[in-house]
Amino acid sequence: MMIRGAVLPILLLAAWELTSHSGTVDPRILPPLEFVAQTAFDQVVHEGLLRNLAASLLRDIAGFTLGSLLGIAVGTTLGLSRIADRLFMPSFNGLRQIAILAWIPLISIWFGVGEAAKIVFIMAAAFIPVVLNTHEGMRSASTQLIEVARTLTFTRWQLVTRLYLPSALPSIATGVHLALIYAWVASIGSEYFMTIGPGIGGLIIAGRERFQMDLVMLGILILGLVGFLINRGASAIEKRLLRWQQA
Amino acid sequence: MRAAAIPASAWPSVPPAAIALLFPLTLLALWSISAHFGWLPPQILPSPGEVWAALLDLARSGDLARNTGISLLRVVEGFAAGSFLGLLLGIAMGLSPKIEDYVKPLFTAFAQVPTLGWIPFLMLLVGIGEPLKVLVIAKAAFVPVALNTLSGIRAVPPIYAEVGALFRFSRWQLLQKVVLPAAVPPIFTGLRYGLTHAWNALVAVELLASAEGLGYLLVWGRQMFWLDTMMGAMLIIGVVGFLLDRIMATCEARLQRWRLA
Amino acid sequence: MIQRRALLATLAATTVARANEPVTIRFGFANVGVDNRQYSGGNFLAVAHAEHYIESELKDLPGVKIEYAFFKGAGPAVNEAFANGQLDFASQGDLPQIIARANGLKTRQLAAGGAHAPMYLAVPPDSDIHTIKDLKGRKVALFRGTNNHLAAVKVLAANGMTERDFQGINMDEASANAALATRNIDAAFGNYGVLLLTEKGLARIAYSTKGQDPAFERQSTLIAADSFVANHPDLTQRVVTAVVKAAYWSSQEENREALFDIWARSGRPTSVYRDDFANQSLKYRNSPLIDDYLINAYRVQAQQAKEYGLIRREVSIDGWFDAQFLNVALKQLNLEHFWPHYGADGKPQT
Repeated sequence: MMIRGAVLPILLLAAWELTSHSGTVDPRILPPLEFVAQTAFDQVVHEGLLRNLAASLLRDIAGFTLGSLLGIAVGTTLGLSRIADRLFMPSFNGLRQIAILAWIPLISIWFGVGEAAKIVFIMAAAFIPVVLNTHEGMRSASTQLIEVARTLTFTRWQLVTRLYLPSALPSIATGVHLALIYAWVASIGSEYFMTIGPGIGGLIIAGRERFQMDLVMLGILILGLVGFLINRGASAIEKRLLRWQQA
Repeated sequence: MRAAAIPASAWPSVPPAAIALLFPLTLLALWSISAHFGWLPPQILPSPGEVWAALLDLARSGDLARNTGISLLRVVEGFAAGSFLGLLLGIAMGLSPKIEDYVKPLFTAFAQVPTLGWIPFLMLLVGIGEPLKVLVIAKAAFVPVALNTLSGIRAVPPIYAEVGALFRFSRWQLLQKVVLPAAVPPIFTGLRYGLTHAWNALVAVELLASAEGLGYLLVWGRQMFWLDTMMGAMLIIGVVGFLLDRIMATCEARLQRWRLA
Repeated sequence: MIQRRALLATLAATTVARANEPVTIRFGFANVGVDNRQYSGGNFLAVAHAEHYIESELKDLPGVKIEYAFFKGAGPAVNEAFANGQLDFASQGDLPQIIARANGLKTRQLAAGGAHAPMYLAVPPDSDIHTIKDLKGRKVALFRGTNNHLAAVKVLAANGMTERDFQGINMDEASANAALATRNIDAAFGNYGVLLLTEKGLARIAYSTKGQDPAFERQSTLIAADSFVANHPDLTQRVVTAVVKAAYWSSQEENREALFDIWARSGRPTSVYRDDFANQSLKYRNSPLIDDYLINAYRVQAQQAKEYGLIRREVSIDGWFDAQFLNVALKQLNLEHFWPHYGADGKPQT
C-alpha cells in the first residue's frame, strides 16, 4: 500500500526532472530538483532559513494563543448568556461573512506597519473558529447534567468550570484545532500583504519577484510540512485531551 | 437541547430580530457620533454616511456592478471546474480502494499547502491573467469537495450494497441508485465548504494581482487611503459571500426534501 | 533676583535634561532596495542615510538614536505608519503626502528631497506601444497612491485619457519589474526603478517626462510629523541641518560618480541613476530649497489630485511648508546662495 502511494509522486518528480533538463522549459520556471535541493541547503546554511521559519512560527503562535484565549472567553460568554447570545451573535455572524483576507487593508491602516498589525490579523483568524465552536459546545451541554448540577446547588462558577467547560471540551478542541490551521495560513497571509519582515511568506514572494521557482518551491514545501505537522500535532493533542471522554 | 446557565428572564417577549439589531445599531450610532465629533481621526474612521456615499458612487458609476460581476464570474468558473474535478476524484477514490492507494498520499500532500502558498507558484507558471484566478479558485474548491465526496462515499453503509446486490444492480446502477444518493449530504457539505473556500481564494488572488474585481477595489481604496471605499468593498464582499452560502444552503435543503420524498 | 536666577537655572537644567532624554528618531523611506535591501536611492536623503549624516549630527547627544525603515509599499505604507504614530520623518512623494493631508494627517514639510524627478513608461523591447495613446485597453502596472501615479494621471490627461482607458494593475516596483520582464503586463509606469530592466535589455522606455512640461515632474520632500517637530524642535533642526549637508555634497558635480556609487548600495546599478540624472545638473535635482516652484507645484498637485478624483476633499497647502529649519541650516552652513531659487513658472529667479 505504501508502494502504491509512492508511485505517482515518483512519476511526477521523474517527469519534472526530465522536462527540466530537456531544455524545453525556462529553467527558472522549472528548475531541476538538484537546484531546489541546493537552494534549500543554501537557504538553511547561508540565508538563515531557520530564522525566517522561527519568525513566522513565533508570529503564528502569538496570534494563535491570543486569539484562542480570547475566543474561548467570548465563546463561553456568548454560549452561557442568552442575552449576550441574542445581542452579539448575529453581529458576529454578520462580520465573519467578510472573507478574512479582506480585513487586511483595514487592519493595516488601523494598526500600522509593525508586527502588531500582523498579530492582530492572525488573532482574528484564530478567534473566529474558537468562538463558534466554544459557543456551540456550551449550548449543547446536556440538560440532564444541568438538572443534576442544579439539584446539587452548584454555584455559577462551579457550573461553568465543573460542567459547561468539560462538556464543551470536544467542541472547544475542534475549534482550537481549526484555529491552529487558520492561524498558520493567516501568518503567511500577513507576510504577503503587510510589511515585509522575516518569514516564509517573504521568502515565497521574493522567489516570485526574482523568478526563482526554486525559492517558491522551497517555500511551498515548508508551508506544506509545517501545515502537516501542525495538523498532526493538533489531532494528537485533541485525542489526548479527550481520552477521558471515551472512558 | 439548548440550555443557558443564565436565563434571559428580562427579555421574554422581544422579537429576536429586534435584539439582533440592537448591537449593530448602537455601534452605528456611536460610529456616527464619533465621526461627527472627531473623536478618532478621519483617516482611521470615516463616517457611516461617507461609506454609504462611497458605495452609492460606486453603484452609480457602474463600477460596483462591473467589479462584483467579474468577481462572481471568476468564482463560478473556478468553483465549477474545481468541484467537478473534486467530485470525479472523490468518487474514483471512494469506489476504488486501489485508486485511493495510488492517489491519496499525493493528494494529501497537495492539500497540506494552503491556497495562498500556491498563488505565487501559479503566478510564475501562468502569469497574472484570468487563468491564474480560475486555477487558484479551482484549487481552493477542489480539495474540500474531493475530501468530502470521498468520505461521503466511504460512509455509505455496506448494507446498501447488499440490498443492491439483492436487486441484482449492475455496478453502474449501484452507483447511480444507491451509492451516490446516499452520499449526497456529505458531498453537499463538501460543495458548500468548497464554495466558501473558493470565495476566500478569490479575495486572496484579487488582492495580489488584479485589474478588476471586488478585491481590486479593496486594494485601490487602500493605496489611496479611501477608507470609505475600502469599507464599502468589504461590506459587499461580506454580503456576496453570505448570499453564495445561502444559495448553497437552500439547494441543500431542497435536496434533503427530495431525498426523503 | 534670587528667584529669577533659580527659575533660569531650573529652565536650563530641564532643557539639558530634555536634551539627554532618550529619544529614538524614526525615519522612513518610501522605497526599498532591490531584494529588500535596506537602502534607498535617487535623492540626497538616501545619501544622508547611507553616509550617516544624521548620526554624525547627533553624536553629542548620547540619548538620541535614529532608526530607519524602508517601505516596499512606498508612499501609502509611509502614510499608514504616520497615521499610527510610527514615524517621525520621511522621504516621501507628493501624491501620498497630499492624500494623507486630505485625510487630516498632521505633518509638516521641512525641505525638498527629490524635486524635479522624471517618470517613465516602460514596455517590453519589441512592444508595439510607442506613445501613451497606445496604452488603450492594455495591461498596465501602476503603483497607486505614489507620486508616479499622479504624474501618470497628468500625462494621461494631456493625451485625453484616464486610468480607466486601460487595465491598471496595482503593483510595487519589484512586482512590476517582474511582470514586465515576463510580459505578463504590456507596460509599466515607474521611476528609476524600471531603468533596471532597460539596462538588462528586458524593457525599453516608450515615454519619459524628462524634457516635457515641468508640470509632469514628480516631487519628493522631507516631511515630518507635527507632533515630533513641536516636541523636539532642537532635534528637528539637527536632522534638517544634517540632510542639508548631504544635499550640498550631492549637488556638487565632482561628486557625480561617487553619488551614483552610494545609491548603488540599494542594489540598482549606477547606470540606472546615471540615466535618470542624464542631462540634468545635480544642483537642480538635489536642491533642498522650499522655493516658489516647489510650493506652487504642490498647490497644483493638490488641485489636480482633487480634479482627477484622487482625493475626495480639497486640500490647502497653506501652512504646510515650514522653511524655518531649512533657513537656519542654510545660514549656519553658509549655503544661502548655493542653490538657485526657481519660480512658479519653473524658471530660475534672480
